[in-house]
Amino acid sequence: MRTTKFIGYMLVTFFLLIPVAVRGEINTIDEIEKTYGDKACMTCHEKIHGEWQKSLHSRSVIHSLGGLRNFIVFGLKRDWKKPVNRENLMRCMHCHAPLLEQASDSLAAEVGELVQSAFDGNEGAKKQLSRLNVNCIVCHNTVAEVEINLRGATKPGVYYGPSGRSSAAHGTEKSKTITSSAFCSRCHWLYTPPDGDTLYCNTLYGSYQDAYKAAGGAAACQDCHMRAKGRGHTFPGAYVPEMVKEGIDIDLQATGVRVQPGKGVPAAIITIGLFNNAGHRIPDG
Amino acid sequence: MDVTARTDTGAVINIGKKEYREIGMDLDGNERLGAWQIKEIIDLSLPPGKTTEERFVAEFPEGTKSVDIEVLLTYYLTPGYQSVVHRVSKKVAFER
Repeated sequence: MRTTKFIGYMLVTFFLLIPVAVRGEINTIDEIEKTYGDKACMTCHEKIHGEWQKSLHSRSVIHSLGGLRNFIVFGLKRDWKKPVNRENLMRCMHCHAPLLEQASDSLAAEVGELVQSAFDGNEGAKKQLSRLNVNCIVCHNTVAEVEINLRGATKPGVYYGPSGRSSAAHGTEKSKTITSSAFCSRCHWLYTPPDGDTLYCNTLYGSYQDAYKAAGGAAACQDCHMRAKGRGHTFPGAYVPEMVKEGIDIDLQATGVRVQPGKGVPAAIITIGLFNNAGHRIPDG
Repeated sequence: MDVTARTDTGAVINIGKKEYREIGMDLDGNERLGAWQIKEIIDLSLPPGKTTEERFVAEFPEGTKSVDIEVLLTYYLTPGYQSVVHRVSKKVAFER
């Protein structure tokens, strides 16, 4: 019994530490999943994993097929006549599937084909792409720190979190930034790819900074989308009606009058107020 | 947001419609501008911490004694996926 438990524990540890060992070009989605997948995390963090599976972060590629396909077909291929290789694909995938950073150019090209095929309705392609997402290792390791230039990149095999509580299964470190809005901004705002270009894919954080924080707003993204009502790693947004209802208040005022002297035509003056309670503009993403 | 009125005789009158959205996409989720194309942001959305006010003046057929004004606010995500955020109504009577 003791031996079985030990072997099981060692297996979990082995898979969690794999990113230390494999740092190179990866040629298949199978390898990506095997190396950076979420399965090993599930062993100990079952509840959180279950929450994440309900979130759009777990479907960050297949949920955005339209935009990804447009970038590949109309952007890369038509407008710029550029190859669908890792460097170019990462302009989207840095946020939609950061794990592809380790992909070879041939895998990047394959993913590009899968995106087009899935957009056209191919279920098989969709299933393949559903394995690419923003999973545990992305937020808790790959992009866990924002001061990379000052503090250095995150350490392979170390999982960053708000508490930094030690774990027997893997290295841990406390991350201050993981609880801040700035952490979310790296994807929910402007994106600057390595070539220095600027992509305005999502402007949500811009609105948060310029219109909400500037007016005295104090909440962080995590306050509403994680901490409130025990939402945890489900990260609810516009696809959850309750969130949208919380975000917008409505007020209707209407007064009946009679217009056109002599005729007294019935008319109504209607005033509708929509108050945005959220920390960012609505709609946005 | 759709604003309609139902008169006391049962007639339904469309009063107005207003759309709030990002500049990059139309309401059907089709990209109007790619992420690489948006250089100027025209904000057609609801700003945070502020009330966006819309006013309508609607005239009704002579003889109408009252109307029920209804405002339907729908969050339109993609075709086939939309949710009703608010549906509010108010009765307005026309005194002689």
